[in-house]
Amino acid sequence: MDDETVKIKGFIVEEFMPDISVDELESDFDLLTGGVVDSLGLLKFVAWMEDEFDITIDESELGPDSFRTVTAIKEFVDTARAGG
Amino acid sequence: MSTKSLAAHFTEQVLRAPDAPALIWDGQATSYGELAAMAQRASEEHDLAGLPADRPVGIRAKKSPEAIALILACLQDGLPFLLPSIELAAETLAKLFAQAGVSTVLSPSGPRSDSAASLRALVEAPESIDAPPSEWPPVGGADGVTFMLTTSGSTGLPKIVPLRAEGVDAFTDWAAEQFGIAPGTVVANYAPLNFDLCLLDIWTTLKHGGCVVLVDQDRATQSPYLSGLIRDKGVNVLQAVPMLYRLLIDVHRETGDVFETVRHVITTGDKMPATSLAELPTLFANARYYNIYGCTETNDSFMHEFLGLRDGQVPANVPIGEPLPGVITHVQEDGELLVRTPFQTRGYLKASLNPERFTELDGVSYYRTGDIVRRQDDGSLTLQGRADFYVKVRGVRVSTQVVEQAIQEHPEVVEVGVVAIEDELAGKRLCAIVRKEPDSALNSLKLRQHCMTRLARTEMPSKITIGTDPLPKTSTGKVDRKAITAELERTQS
Repeated sequence: MDDETVKIKGFIVEEFMPDISVDELESDFDLLTGGVVDSLGLLKFVAWMEDEFDITIDESELGPDSFRTVTAIKEFVDTARAGG
Repeated sequence: MSTKSLAAHFTEQVLRAPDAPALIWDGQATSYGELAAMAQRASEEHDLAGLPADRPVGIRAKKSPEAIALILACLQDGLPFLLPSIELAAETLAKLFAQAGVSTVLSPSGPRSDSAASLRALVEAPESIDAPPSEWPPVGGADGVTFMLTTSGSTGLPKIVPLRAEGVDAFTDWAAEQFGIAPGTVVANYAPLNFDLCLLDIWTTLKHGGCVVLVDQDRATQSPYLSGLIRDKGVNVLQAVPMLYRLLIDVHRETGDVFETVRHVITTGDKMPATSLAELPTLFANARYYNIYGCTETNDSFMHEFLGLRDGQVPANVPIGEPLPGVITHVQEDGELLVRTPFQTRGYLKASLNPERFTELDGVSYYRTGDIVRRQDDGSLTLQGRADFYVKVRGVRVSTQVVEQAIQEHPEVVEVGVVAIEDELAGKRLCAIVRKEPDSALNSLKLRQHCMTRLARTEMPSKITIGTDPLPKTSTGKVDRKAITAELERTQS
C-alpha cells in the first residue's frame, strides 16, 4: 500500500469509522453503498483532500463513482494532480 | 343480519343448553348454567343494581371464570366498566379509574379483593389524583358504552377507549359467522382478559354458545402446557400473536405434536415471520390460515387469508388483506392508513386526545392508524412500518424501524436504536447505537457490510456506534429513542 492510500484510509477511518483499524478497510470497499461517506462527509472529505494533496477539486468533476472506493479516490487524486 | 346484544344472547344460550360447557379453566369445565349463576352472585355480592347507573365501574381482574362472571354481571346490569391491564402499577390504575370517574373498583371474589379495596382508597383520596375525571364521562343507555379498554400507550398514561354496545354486538356477530362459532365450537383464548382480542375469543364464543378454553396468563410461555391444552381440549378456533405459534412449533419439533381439530388459525398483533408461516400446515393440517389487522380503537379492520401455504407459497410481505364488511379505508398521501369500522369507538374518553388520532374526511370520521402502507402491483396493501418512525433524510422518507430491523438481523447484535439527529448542514442524519454480544468482534465496517444487502443507501446510518452497554429503556422495556436522541445531540454539540 502506498503512502497516499494509507493517508486516505487513515482519514476515512478517523473521520467516519473510528472503531476500526486502517488495515481492516479494503481498498475496494463500497463507501457510498455502505453509507460511510454521505453528502456532508463528502464536503469534509473534499476539503481535506484539497488541503492534504495540494490539489484543486472542481465539484463538477465529481461523479458518483469518484469516491466510491479508496482505489477510486486514489485514482481521482492522481488524475487531478496530473491535470492540474 | 340483525345484531343481538351480547348479554341478551348469552342468556338465550343459558336457557337453550344450561349444561353445555361455557369455559374450560385449569382442567375444569364451567357450564352456561353455572356461569350464569356465578354472574348472578357477583351482581348481588357487589350490589351492582345499587351503584349509580350513569357511572362506570372499574374492574381489576386477572383471567378466571370468576372474572368473566363479574364482567357478564356488568353487561347484564348495563354498567359500563373499565378493564385495564392487571400488570399496571397501582398508581397508574388509580389515575385511570379516576379519569373514568368510576363509582367503585371491583375484583372477583377471592384473594384479589384486597387489592381492589386498596385501589378504591387510592381513587377516593382526592389528593392522590392529578388527573381530574374526564370531561365526558360515559353513561349507560344513551351512549351505550359497555367495555372500556385501554391502549398499551408506549408513553404516559394508557388511553381509555370506550366501546359502544352496538359496535361490540356487530363485531361479535361478524366473528361468529366468519369463523363458524356456534354451539359446540371450541375456541382458545390466549390473550390476557383486558385485550381487545378477547372480544373474539371469549365474548363472541359466549354469545354464540361455544366453549372457551382459557389459557392461564401465568403459563403463557410454557410450550408443553399450551400444546397439551390446544390438543387435548379439541380447540377449533385459535387466535394469537406470533409468539404462541413459535412456541407450538418448538413443541412440534421435539414431540411431533400436531393439532388436527383446529379449523381456523388466526395470527394477529405482530408480523408473523415467514419461517413460522411455512410451518402452519404441518401443525394444523385441517385449518384455514388468516392474518388479522386491527387495534383497540377500531377493533379488526382487515383480514388476509393465506391460500397457498400448503403449496409452499409463503408471502415475503404479508398483505393486510381485505377490509371487513362495513369497513371504509383511505390511504393518505404519505401512506398512512385511515380506517373507519362499524365496531370502532367514538373517541378516547379524554376528548383532548382525539384530534390527533381521529380525523374527518368528506364527512366520514376516520381513525388514523399511524401505520404506513404501500399498495403493491396487484392492488393489495402491505404494512411498511409506523408513521412515528418515519423521518426525512436528505429529502427521502426513511423508516428508522426498517433500519433497526436490518441491523437487528445481525446475529451478534443484542439491541439497537436508530434515531435521526438534527445537523446544521445536512438537515437530519441517521445515527445507530448498537449493543453487541460481549465477546463479539463486530465493528461498524462489518455491520455496514451486513446492511448493504438489506438497506437502500438513503437508509444507511451516517453514524454507527457499537458498544456492549445496555441501551436506555422506557418503562415498558423498549429501547428509549428519546433518551438516545438527547444523548447524541448533547455529545454532538
